[in-house]
Amino acid sequence: MKHLREIYDYRQMIFSLVRKELRGRYKGSALGFLWTFINPLLQLCVYTFVFSIVMPNNIDKFYLYLFVGLIPWLFFSGSLTGGAASIINQKDMVKKIYFPREVMPIAYVTSNFVNMLLCFIVIFAVVIVTGGGINPIAICYLPVIMVVEYIMCLGGAMLTSALTVYFRDLEYILGIVTMAWMYFTPVVYSIDMVPENLRPFMNLNPMTPVIVAYRDVLYSKQVPHIRTLTSGFVLGCIVLIVGCVVFQKLQRGFAEEL
Amino acid sequence: MKPGNAIEVKNVKKKFKVYFDKGSQLKERILFRNRNRYEERWVLDDVSFEVKQGEAIGLIGHNGCGKSTTLKLLTRIMYPDSGSIELKGRVSSLIELGAGFHPDMSGRENIYTNASIFGLTKKEIDERLDDIIEFSEMEPFLDNPVRTYSSGMYMRLAFSVAINVNADILLIDEILAVGDVNFQAKCFNKLREIKAQGTTIVIVSHSMGQIEQICDRSIWIHEGKIKAEGNPREIDKDYLDFMGQKRQEIAEQSQKKDEAKTMVAEEIETRAEAEEKKRWGNGRARFREVCMSGKQSDRQRVFATEESVKIRMNYKVKQKVQDAVFGIGIFRDDGVQCYGTNTRIEQFKRFDLDKDGEVVVNIEKLSLLPGKYTLDVAIESDMATPVDYFRQAYSFEVYSSLTDVGVFRMEHQWEV
Repeated sequence: MKHLREIYDYRQMIFSLVRKELRGRYKGSALGFLWTFINPLLQLCVYTFVFSIVMPNNIDKFYLYLFVGLIPWLFFSGSLTGGAASIINQKDMVKKIYFPREVMPIAYVTSNFVNMLLCFIVIFAVVIVTGGGINPIAICYLPVIMVVEYIMCLGGAMLTSALTVYFRDLEYILGIVTMAWMYFTPVVYSIDMVPENLRPFMNLNPMTPVIVAYRDVLYSKQVPHIRTLTSGFVLGCIVLIVGCVVFQKLQRGFAEEL
Repeated sequence: MKPGNAIEVKNVKKKFKVYFDKGSQLKERILFRNRNRYEERWVLDDVSFEVKQGEAIGLIGHNGCGKSTTLKLLTRIMYPDSGSIELKGRVSSLIELGAGFHPDMSGRENIYTNASIFGLTKKEIDERLDDIIEFSEMEPFLDNPVRTYSSGMYMRLAFSVAINVNADILLIDEILAVGDVNFQAKCFNKLREIKAQGTTIVIVSHSMGQIEQICDRSIWIHEGKIKAEGNPREIDKDYLDFMGQKRQEIAEQSQKKDEAKTMVAEEIETRAEAEEKKRWGNGRARFREVCMSGKQSDRQRVFATEESVKIRMNYKVKQKVQDAVFGIGIFRDDGVQCYGTNTRIEQFKRFDLDKDGEVVVNIEKLSLLPGKYTLDVAIESDMATPVDYFRQAYSFEVYSSLTDVGVFRMEHQWEV
């Protein structure tokens, strides 16, 4: 509890790190901040080409179906892979001064979260222009889903950032892991396409309920199933608790390992 | 924690693993598990101390003795392997100045970033902003990017932020060498002011002067243990004496090495040649050995100011020297002659040298101040004919626990 209080005291540091991260991320590149939007849009083009032209499926408006799942997924995978480096990238600071180490992954995940929020502007534009409107009641659930995903991402980033200090390879292994993970999550396909007997395993994946809930709200324009929300919330909390416990244990040795 | 205490350190032990070849990749960890050989080194071995609220203490000790580790444990950058550390209140550290400074951002923006790292909120920074700016004397440059600052300006800004955090406990590691003389004086006054306000201060420094000016107590850490603790004036003096003796040991070792080296035949020649340039005279008598002895050994290389010293000159006579005169001269390494005398000046009765022997000069108090010195010795005969002039026959160092200045210490008393 005292620790939470301390992290709260360092909120200004988190703010300024987030600002630095957002401002500095695309510094020096010609298109600058626009990459926040261009990158997911290009990925969208690739997946749409593969999954609706090369291997067509029967999902209506597949690009939209894909888009509302892809943006939250990119937030999650970015938090895991980028968050992994959040401590070692600041090793000079970690080795020399004190601050609650959690600040680093929190700031990184938060800056990614802000990026996702900005992408949602594009999602809304696309939804309104092509999807024929929004269900206002369903939209009210959107912040809840986002918070659940944020919790999950934070837990994941704390786990990877702490482990990476001890095993540097993890940073690179995670690239492959998140790619595989994406295909085990209903991002480019629908959960209904998964064979019945495999579905319980799919539901163990913490990202499944999150993606499903985003789709319900933005694609199907319906209130997400309460079971989807609770399972997402519970899984998110488990990830966060595991992340916190591991981080707490490992952070004592950061200064010596770096 | 006892009431009135700000810091309590109890039985703290800390070890470091010193890897011979450290692999941090997963592959290396698994495949070469046996290769991850390391040695455990106890940096701190059962250290306990307490600091009262508002007290200022200095940690002293030679390089690698564990004092900086102690400070890192206090800031919670590292954690002890056993024992406990408790601190009461907000801690600010002047260990790494300017952490998180972004070179492209302006001075003003960096004040905010840097202060936030100490755990200040925006409101708290706003309140302190004027003090920080005023203290740093950087007002005109505040809106320029930090990369355009000189290193002195950079440190000044960083120091101003750190010192204005208004912490309850301030930890300082050897950084009072910030800026020019005026700024240093200002830092010192600020530290005194902060101390007067009741802030607890822990300083790690090699400058005994700084510690004596601020601290109420010194803790001398040696090889991971507390060797002595108490009034800075006494502890610091003991510490400096100890370090002086240590230098003596090192000097002796390197002397031995030098001697071992000269065993090589070629070198004997070159050395003899070099010695010849430093030596002249008709050679009727020659110095065989010149050395200085002090408290610790007969061939001592490091002396404390006011130590009692004997200069021994051993000589060999080939032909009788009539009306012999012995002389000595002491030079500092920058060429200043510090002292010189001979038996004629001191109106000795005339004497001749006809067999080998030894002359000794007793110096009751070596009043030279710290520095490096060389000793010249000479034998002359009647009519001031050089028999054996031997320049730089011996070299030695002097250290002192006082920091008076000049060439030598005059005997004196103050009446106030």
